[in-house]
Amino acid sequence: MPNIDLVRRRNFALCGVAAFLFISGGLQAQRPTTVPKAFGDEYAGSATCQICHEDNFNNVTKTNPHRVVETDKKLGFADHVCESCHGPGAKHASTGDVAFIRSPLKLSPGEADKICLNCHANQQTHLGLIQNSHSKFAIACVSCHKMHVNGGALLVARKNADVNQLCESCHANVKAQFLMPYRHKIPENAMTCTDCHNPHGIPRQGMQQSFAGSEPPCLTCHGDKRGPFTFEHAPVKFEGCTACHEQHGSANPRMLIRHEVRQVCLECHANMPTSTPGVNAMGVVPPAFHDLRSARYQNCTICHQKIHGSYVDRNLLK
Amino acid sequence: MRRLLISAGIAAGVIGMLPLAFAQQAPVPAVSPAPATTPAAPASPASDATPATSTPIASAAAEARPAGEYRITGSLDVGYRWLDGPGGSFETYRSVVNLGSGVKLIGLDLAIANPSRKWFENAHIRAFNWGNDPYATFHADAEKSRIYRLNVDYRGISYFNNLPSYADPLLAKGITLNEQSFDTHRRLSSVRLEILPGRAFTPYVSAERDARSGSVVTVFHSDNNDYPVAGVTRDSTNLVRAGVRISFRRVRATLEEGYTNFRNDQSDSTGPTNYGNTSVQTLGQTLDLTSLAQSYGIRGNSHYTKADFTASPFSWADIYAQFTYTTPHTTVNYTQYDTGSLVLLNQVLFFSGQQYLVNATASFPHTTANAGWEIRPYRRVRILQSFQTDRMTNTGSAAQADTLLAGTATVSQTALALASTLGMDSSQVDISILFDAGRKFTLRGGYRYVWGNANDVVSPQEGLYTIASEKLQRNIGMGAVSWRPSQKVLLSGDAEVGTSAGTYFRTSLYDYQKVRAMGRYKLLKSWQISGDFRILMNRNPLAGSSYHFLSRQESATLTWLPSGKKLSVDATWEHCTYQSTVSYLIPQLLVGADSVYSEDCHRISGMLNATLRGLHKRAATLEAGGAAVITTGSRPTTDYQPTARLTAPLTKNVAAFGEWRYYGFGESFYQYESFRAHLVTVGLRFTR
Repeated sequence: MPNIDLVRRRNFALCGVAAFLFISGGLQAQRPTTVPKAFGDEYAGSATCQICHEDNFNNVTKTNPHRVVETDKKLGFADHVCESCHGPGAKHASTGDVAFIRSPLKLSPGEADKICLNCHANQQTHLGLIQNSHSKFAIACVSCHKMHVNGGALLVARKNADVNQLCESCHANVKAQFLMPYRHKIPENAMTCTDCHNPHGIPRQGMQQSFAGSEPPCLTCHGDKRGPFTFEHAPVKFEGCTACHEQHGSANPRMLIRHEVRQVCLECHANMPTSTPGVNAMGVVPPAFHDLRSARYQNCTICHQKIHGSYVDRNLLK
Repeated sequence: MRRLLISAGIAAGVIGMLPLAFAQQAPVPAVSPAPATTPAAPASPASDATPATSTPIASAAAEARPAGEYRITGSLDVGYRWLDGPGGSFETYRSVVNLGSGVKLIGLDLAIANPSRKWFENAHIRAFNWGNDPYATFHADAEKSRIYRLNVDYRGISYFNNLPSYADPLLAKGITLNEQSFDTHRRLSSVRLEILPGRAFTPYVSAERDARSGSVVTVFHSDNNDYPVAGVTRDSTNLVRAGVRISFRRVRATLEEGYTNFRNDQSDSTGPTNYGNTSVQTLGQTLDLTSLAQSYGIRGNSHYTKADFTASPFSWADIYAQFTYTTPHTTVNYTQYDTGSLVLLNQVLFFSGQQYLVNATASFPHTTANAGWEIRPYRRVRILQSFQTDRMTNTGSAAQADTLLAGTATVSQTALALASTLGMDSSQVDISILFDAGRKFTLRGGYRYVWGNANDVVSPQEGLYTIASEKLQRNIGMGAVSWRPSQKVLLSGDAEVGTSAGTYFRTSLYDYQKVRAMGRYKLLKSWQISGDFRILMNRNPLAGSSYHFLSRQESATLTWLPSGKKLSVDATWEHCTYQSTVSYLIPQLLVGADSVYSEDCHRISGMLNATLRGLHKRAATLEAGGAAVITTGSRPTTDYQPTARLTAPLTKNVAAFGEWRYYGFGESFYQYESFRAHLVTVGLRFTR
């Protein structure tokens, strides 16, 4: 039995610690200098950068979305698009020494992200960046986004095949899971990883996208499993589809986590009925007429066919 | 073979005629699209190297065109595919692969630039796998800077599933019929329009539709027997949402309102006399089903409200909050008329006809909210804290009327009103501290606490005590390290340890340890190796559970991309282990037994790309590789998919290609589900 007082005390303590950190952070923090002094304070202007980095300059100022930085005076870097990320470049331009120019690729991920977030912190896709798994694992924006490319929205892969390839380049284990015979059609590029996951992070577990507000991304395609059902199957709502299915791929039909349906069911439906919460867990043992020696009872979904929830039958039979 | 080649030639010729105009008067290509199967680029940070999408020459050539002329670049792949076989189980082939013969639009990828910028500046059109393939996609987007952005997406996915090993109680009698099989087609489409993107106020509207239709084999359950019956199913979900994004330098908010409309109709029927899965007589009588008209009419709708907010009030702090409220609702009209020799066993009542009607409703208000902040008290320290809560309650009610007939006489009539409630309140707090020990070294430590309550009740109760009510309480400690000694090397690892005092389900995470380690090393300029290791151990010590779960995966990837690019190799190997043991009660005996699952798998994939000398000094490319899966344990399976593809340029803008693929699938315990098939595709690629 959880101790409610203990829980409350813990929550208060957490809030207290957070408040202390927040306030002390404010007192301690200095406004970060976006450009270290070593790089100098003088700007050179994009025209100067263009002399040596013509390709990058041309790309950025043609159809790259960042061209707006070069032209829009409101953004504060008109005619200085290069230096909006790389910092003042006059000293680098005069000496040619790379030590005097900031390269985001050489910064720590946190510092590199800070440059991007100077402008992009408050955009929709970055809502979860604070809690983002990529961010927590020190994967910077520039790991996926190429800043200097020429082409509308092509700072990152857009085609299904390219998106999947980009994700697989780090997530080799997930790539391997999609080789299993029963799988979502990622290798066929009928789907992309970003159909289900938000790479910028989202508070949901596994950086899952959401459907219709707050529902799991599986329902984007499997709308018939959404309900609400008159008689719900609790794990579907509480733990989601992955309670019974391997979401990427499986050796078992229907991408199940076990090779036989009855195993999936009986591993939860094994508790004797009780009226005391916390004694075991949800899922009571089936009535005794379920004789597992009979083929009829070895495939639970033969009878309990509406296993995701039923509109008409409390036992999920129809 | 000869016929195959002749057919290939004819098909290629016919197909070549179709897009001839596409290749005519093609200008100097501004884009050199990479083959779709080019191996993954090394997983290094995005390079600053000059991208392949533009060259100064191409840019100059493009700019020399008269204003107003569209600049179209891209590729079109068309071809014909032959399916040889499949040998073995055609049903399994369709369930797993489902590729057929015929003319195919393999890929279309166009980028359109409009120098005049009238109506649009850039547009992209992509379409893949058209021509009766099981997964066809189409995507188009267009934009005009700071005016609008439009995305259109369509996917057609065929879903066929007929695997007797999944659900066939008649297998012992030699009947291979999956009584839960599907032959359906799903169509997903969406249109999204953003107005004034990039400005302070950006309204947007989106319409999405998910529709499925097809036939099913399902089961009509009638007390002591179950009858496989055929059905037709059709469902659709329409979602319309609109909102506005408000963006200022330090504050951003989004307000969104959405509405869904849902309908699901299924009707099932049976042939003249259906003896069902049970041939054993019941109390001396043979049960059968002679007619069935069963239909589900489900209608639903929901609306949701979503608001999120982010702000950077200080240079050292970011905060965010999100709130979502949804209220899905469904109504159900179920009708069932069936005749035959049927029984109600608990009353020892035989009857010849039944009318069963149900009217039901369900409502599912669901609230989620989360808030958090990141503060950076020092240059090297980030503190992240979040709180989130998830609250849902489903209330359902059903009015059931059941009439049993013997001939035309009513032998039993019952009416029942049922009510159900499923509820859950779950919350968690999470705090993490990240410390950049240097530019190359980051440490993270954190703590998470998760708690909640859940209950599941249907009344009036039947049988034993069936109110389920459980609590969740879990403490989790987290730690991670990331080390980047140079741009050539990346090492990272993280660990998570959780202990629980209660969970909702026996197989949920209880007392667990999770470890992950990843490394990447750029051996030489052209070689890169990376490795990944992860392990999860979970244990539920509650009496009667004795749950032990182990999941372990090790993978290694090798990428060789020499500077000449005449040859490249990309290969991945992974080994996985799953072991699970949990106690359960055998229902008919109420004695304990162990449910054991084990899986040990090797998964390999790789591709070799080679540039060969082709016709007229134009380089041809050869890609060869594929994938293989070998699993042992509870369901030993082999799945081989070797492939090879040769692309040979014919002219500056036209290339011919030929592709061979093999699918070989086998299961030791279910050999009747094995299959093998060869697929040969020939076609032409047009680029400009």
